[in-house]
Amino acid sequence: MTAAPHPASEEEPVEPPQAGGMGLAATLGEEALGLLNTGRELYGLFVRTIYFCFRGRREPGAMAFYMHEVGNKSVFFLSVVMGFIGMIMVYQGGVQNLRILPDLSLIGATYLELLIRDLAASIGALMLATRVGAGIAAEIGSMVVTEQVDALRMSAADPVDYLVKPRFIASLVMTICLCIWGAAVSTVTGTLTAYVYFDLNPHTFLNLTLVDAADVGTGLTKCLAYGAAIPIVSAHAGLSTHGGSEGVGRATTRAVVNSSLAVLFLNLVISAVSYILFPG
Amino acid sequence: MGARALEIAGTVGSMGMLLGRILGRTLRLSLDREEVMKNLYRMGVLSMPIVIVTAMFTGGIMVIQAAPLVTRLQAYGLLGWGAGFGILREIAPLLTALMINGRVGANNTAELGTMVVTEQVDGLRVLAIDPIGFLIAPRFISIVITLLLVTIFADVLALVGAAYVGDLMLGVSPRTFYNGLTSGLLGTGDIMSGLVKSVLYGIVIGLSSCHFGLAVSGGAPGVGKAVNATVVASAAGVFVLDYLVSFTL
Repeated sequence: MTAAPHPASEEEPVEPPQAGGMGLAATLGEEALGLLNTGRELYGLFVRTIYFCFRGRREPGAMAFYMHEVGNKSVFFLSVVMGFIGMIMVYQGGVQNLRILPDLSLIGATYLELLIRDLAASIGALMLATRVGAGIAAEIGSMVVTEQVDALRMSAADPVDYLVKPRFIASLVMTICLCIWGAAVSTVTGTLTAYVYFDLNPHTFLNLTLVDAADVGTGLTKCLAYGAAIPIVSAHAGLSTHGGSEGVGRATTRAVVNSSLAVLFLNLVISAVSYILFPG
Repeated sequence: MGARALEIAGTVGSMGMLLGRILGRTLRLSLDREEVMKNLYRMGVLSMPIVIVTAMFTGGIMVIQAAPLVTRLQAYGLLGWGAGFGILREIAPLLTALMINGRVGANNTAELGTMVVTEQVDGLRVLAIDPIGFLIAPRFISIVITLLLVTIFADVLALVGAAYVGDLMLGVSPRTFYNGLTSGLLGTGDIMSGLVKSVLYGIVIGLSSCHFGLAVSGGAPGVGKAVNATVVASAAGVFVLDYLVSFTL
């Protein structure tokens, strides 16, 4: 599930590649092998994290700390983004709707369905991928560079147990909470936009007839998948940091790019599966 | 609340001053042209893989999300219009900006931050080389140009992705999709609106990544924190600008 696509190699050849070097097939093959390797490493990290979730040390203090770090500190950022998304979606949808149909009464129902099935989870998770993902990679990366992770290993403490597991559980719980909060915020701003710009009564707008259990289920599955993928991908980027402060920067970049790609990839897969399972 | 508002105002203010200084250097053409070309290659050409993947995926996702609505209304001819409008006006510029923010913006902050931490920027000043003209302005300009060009590319790719996913999942042939796209409901205004947005996003991403990169202090953890701050600030800025542009255009 966390075997995310990994096409962005973050090596930095500053000069353009020399003509007559590696052929196209060789380059593609190397990329594919790298992708496969990263997928395997991510899967390994995922399995080890799950193992330590059940068999590792109990540390409620660290869990609460990271939940605060991941959750409460993202609330402001996420509220801003989701609030604006609500306004933009309803405004653009309304304007386009008026180009073909004068009747706006169904826009609320459609918007809420789309929001619950996809937007709340996916846009929210993209934002969390940048904020939380970058944070995790930066923290773990600086620990690797300053050899604190090696110190942990020397004291016979598994870095996955100490560093990755609490962040993983915190992100899993808080992504779901934040996505639900984001859905609420964008519903409110969407309703207000519809009322102010299109004179649509909030009662007409807040029409939940199109939302069924399949939509809610798809949305929550997405939250769960993103919540698991973001910390694993970012922790992997953080743990494979090397080379001083430059390396930390590179690891953070890779965490953001790869966890965003993981979100997009999971979105495509889950959306397609849910469309095949519950068409219409 | 108050402290946060003041902090945001302070950041925006110092970004504005940085923009003024960059524009000054650009108008006087005291830029390092070689740096601009080098950065364009690194930021633009090397970002192509993730742009391609992102654009194809988002095109596909758009169609899958529209699918229940389309089958309910039997409006297969309108799929091209719906997907095209969403992609050209909003999704392609927005998601491309977010990915470029993650890859280029974060990388830029990390590089500048590393230079600040290792005192290379002070070294430039000692050599009487203007850090703004040599380091900052070329990067800023490259980010803006890169994002504009890459968005045009992503527009096309996302439409191709949408057309083929529509064919695969809904049985709407690419020809029907193309007809819906060109049926006259979409104009150049829609494309231009997306491209204007991408330029503005480029300005936000360039400014915030340069600003946070120059403001780094405190070794390797400081660089990590600065990168984190950059991606968060640019992402929020992109959404706020998206709203403002959508309502004015």
